[in-house]
Amino acid sequence: MKRRIDLPLLITLTTLALFVFVPMISAFEYSIRTPVEGGYGLTNYKWAVADEDFLYYILRSGWLSALTVLVTLVILVPTVTWLHLSDSKLRPLIDGLSLLPLVIPVVAFAVGAQISLPEFVQNTVLELPFLYFILALPYAYRALDIGLNSIPLKTITEAARSTGASWSRTIISVIIPVIRGAVMGTIALTFALSLGEYTLTVLLHWDTFPTWVTFVAQENILGAIAISMMSLIIPFILLTGITLLMPDRSAQRRK
Amino acid sequence: MTSNIKVEGAPLERSAFRFFKVTSVLPALPFLLIFGFFFIYPITKLIYVSFMSNENTFTFGNFQTAFTQPYSTGFVNSIKIAFLSALIAAFPGAIAAYFIETRGPSKLKRSLAMMNGVLANTGGVPLAFMFMAAIGMQGTLTKVLKYFGIDIYAGTFSLGTFTGILLVYLYFQLPLMVIVFSPAIMSLRREWVEAAKNLGASQINYWFRVGFPLLFPSFIASFLLLFASGFSAYATANALTVGNLPLTPLQIGGLLDGNVSASQLNLGKALSVVMILISAVAVIPYLIIQRKAARWQRR
Amino acid sequence: MTSKDLTLTNVSRRFGTVTALDNFNLHVGVGELVALLGPSGCGKTTALRIIAGLESLDSGKVTVGEKDISRIPAHKRNMGMVFQAYSLFPNLTVEENVAFGLQMRKVSKHLRLKKAHELLELVGLPTHAKRFTHQLSGGQQQRVALARALAFSPEILLLDEPLSALDAQVRVNLREEIRRLQISLGTTTVFVTHDQEEAMSISDRVGVMSHGVLEQIDTPDVLYNAPATAFVANFVGVMNRIPADLANGKVSIFGKSLTASKKGSESGKIVALLRPETISVKKSSSQGNARVLTRSFQGASSAIICQTHEGTIVQSLMASFDTGDFHPGTLVDLEVSTNEVMVTNV
Repeated sequence: MKRRIDLPLLITLTTLALFVFVPMISAFEYSIRTPVEGGYGLTNYKWAVADEDFLYYILRSGWLSALTVLVTLVILVPTVTWLHLSDSKLRPLIDGLSLLPLVIPVVAFAVGAQISLPEFVQNTVLELPFLYFILALPYAYRALDIGLNSIPLKTITEAARSTGASWSRTIISVIIPVIRGAVMGTIALTFALSLGEYTLTVLLHWDTFPTWVTFVAQENILGAIAISMMSLIIPFILLTGITLLMPDRSAQRRK
Repeated sequence: MTSNIKVEGAPLERSAFRFFKVTSVLPALPFLLIFGFFFIYPITKLIYVSFMSNENTFTFGNFQTAFTQPYSTGFVNSIKIAFLSALIAAFPGAIAAYFIETRGPSKLKRSLAMMNGVLANTGGVPLAFMFMAAIGMQGTLTKVLKYFGIDIYAGTFSLGTFTGILLVYLYFQLPLMVIVFSPAIMSLRREWVEAAKNLGASQINYWFRVGFPLLFPSFIASFLLLFASGFSAYATANALTVGNLPLTPLQIGGLLDGNVSASQLNLGKALSVVMILISAVAVIPYLIIQRKAARWQRR
Repeated sequence: MTSKDLTLTNVSRRFGTVTALDNFNLHVGVGELVALLGPSGCGKTTALRIIAGLESLDSGKVTVGEKDISRIPAHKRNMGMVFQAYSLFPNLTVEENVAFGLQMRKVSKHLRLKKAHELLELVGLPTHAKRFTHQLSGGQQQRVALARALAFSPEILLLDEPLSALDAQVRVNLREEIRRLQISLGTTTVFVTHDQEEAMSISDRVGVMSHGVLEQIDTPDVLYNAPATAFVANFVGVMNRIPADLANGKVSIFGKSLTASKKGSESGKIVALLRPETISVKKSSSQGNARVLTRSFQGASSAIICQTHEGTIVQSLMASFDTGDFHPGTLVDLEVSTNEVMVTNV
């Protein structure tokens, strides 16, 4: 087919690009100003990265997010698999429950958590992965649900079991690889959500990378802006790069 | 249910039936326990406490206060900003979703989906700082616009005002609209356009008789989700305002931190419960519409 | 509106480097049902979509009656089309779907609903008028699609593999029903399918296509018994391919000398094409010329699959009562019952 320039698409993309990139590039220009020496430089970025808290909070947010992913997978994958296999009467109930966190504003959830969770829970930062799990639940559950719906789960499971695989082995070496697209989606989503979570974290008085940025802003606003730019632009470039480099699956599937 | 029919069969099935109650819940137990402890219990306690006076007796007082100043203004502002940001984002977002989904090559679609995901979710605090740098008093874009003779600070504009917050909200609302509305566009089948043409419908006929009616519920659903997202947003507004713009999430945060004191200890809980109710009014129809639309969206 | 005849003259269509249709010619007479049959990618669907106006043509013309419609947009063509599946509008009820074409032609509500109910009656779904399409089975949906395509009395009816998404039993019933309706309404019809049984069973004529070219168009009987090309011979029905030598227009198969008919080289190594029913199997008293591999019982007739001592697999079709003791391994003599044979190059 002839490659024509698609005018409506072009206009759409140009408008979107202006909308997204004008503020982003403006902010970037601002962040590389050096008020003391005048002109441009990476002073603010160097200052931010040199701060020892920078690495500390990145790592802290990183392992908390990794833990959230772990909690999500360990709890959800077997549960959703079982619901699909057993035709349990619980399925509509749990389907509904999993969507409930969408209804509750995070601020309200934070208040609820603060007044109800026992002290020994609130005293450890390990409460965060479980609370983040709740926040990610509507998306994670649905991603896995769709993934399992798209495969002949019963047949696959029976085949695995009939060749002598245990339940845990069936899930880990058969089901997860088959729905790896959905699992990867769940991991990416849960990780990203936990990494960027601010409201719940700050209202429960925990410090993570996002809350640290607001703390930095009080003493060096330019440094905080530099950090914000990094946390927006780096995932932006990284994820777009990965998307463009990954093989085009939909194109392969077409005959 | 089905096991009732099979009971007459092998003894194995009979014993399975005996343990029906236990085995039918057991595998879901870890999920139910964690969900119950970390979600159901906090929300139930929240609702319960919102009806408690300072002396732990039952009262409607917290709710009565919740609907007086400055909290009533907070609700009005929050609803207004959620409604406007959703409304302004919905149309361009829907149109963008349409052109991207129907005309974009698949690589473009996927990378845009990723970018939209980052914008709609990373949001919050970094977004606030980014806008400070772009259109703050000394912001780059502010200066560029001034150079062209447009002084955005000539009037009463500031990032911490209603208009300022609205502008920043649009930055995550628009990508969110593209994300939630795209599935509806994708599920419009080529066969429908072709069948309509074949039956004598012009492009306009097709859109008014088939296209729009099919997309309309999803459009409303997407709008409702945007409303809920704008209504609940906390981080951006918290970073940009300094207590000058009453918004319910900020007021709750202030009460929770003890930064703001109120004579009623459980006022924040009552505000939270009202917030949940308003959010539910948007999210529950959203979920119902999505479920209905799924009937024809499947494959 | 009465049905008209349809003519495609020298129609060509290319997609990039692929030629979907190459100087394609077709004539469908008034009230005739012509099937276009071929493997996927042969251009049959492109031909149908060009007739409907859903695809543009690079050159050539499409004529309905006396009128050249090549440049007329799809929505003004007055042709009814049934798609593979999922083409019903999910936001409309069954009756609204069926009445859609009449609504577009500004027929009053009363009249178009009356006509819709008539057609629903015809396709056997009179009680489903108020339902939505997701409440129907696949077969019912295609019946509604058929009613919808016929409701505005189109000049031409186009069927784009309308049965391919259905279960086997439903498929057979529905194809008979399509044929019955088509005959009673007298609508000129083009039917695209890749299923030869389907094409052969309900069509007046079948056009076999390959690589954008119409290989042969004829009645099912002629196609089966006198295929014009080797492609048609192989594609339609089961065909044995037996290697042999051609000398002076004669071929010797299983000891019998046959006259080679039609194309192929004049002499040398060739492949003879023989239908299973032209080969009979006899129990051999000695070595025979083949050995039975399997026998598959098909009711009145049975297929005997044999392997010649040279290694060629040969299928024979015989009345079942003759074949009871052809167990696997039985040594047999294969015999040819015709005097002419079609040959093709190796």
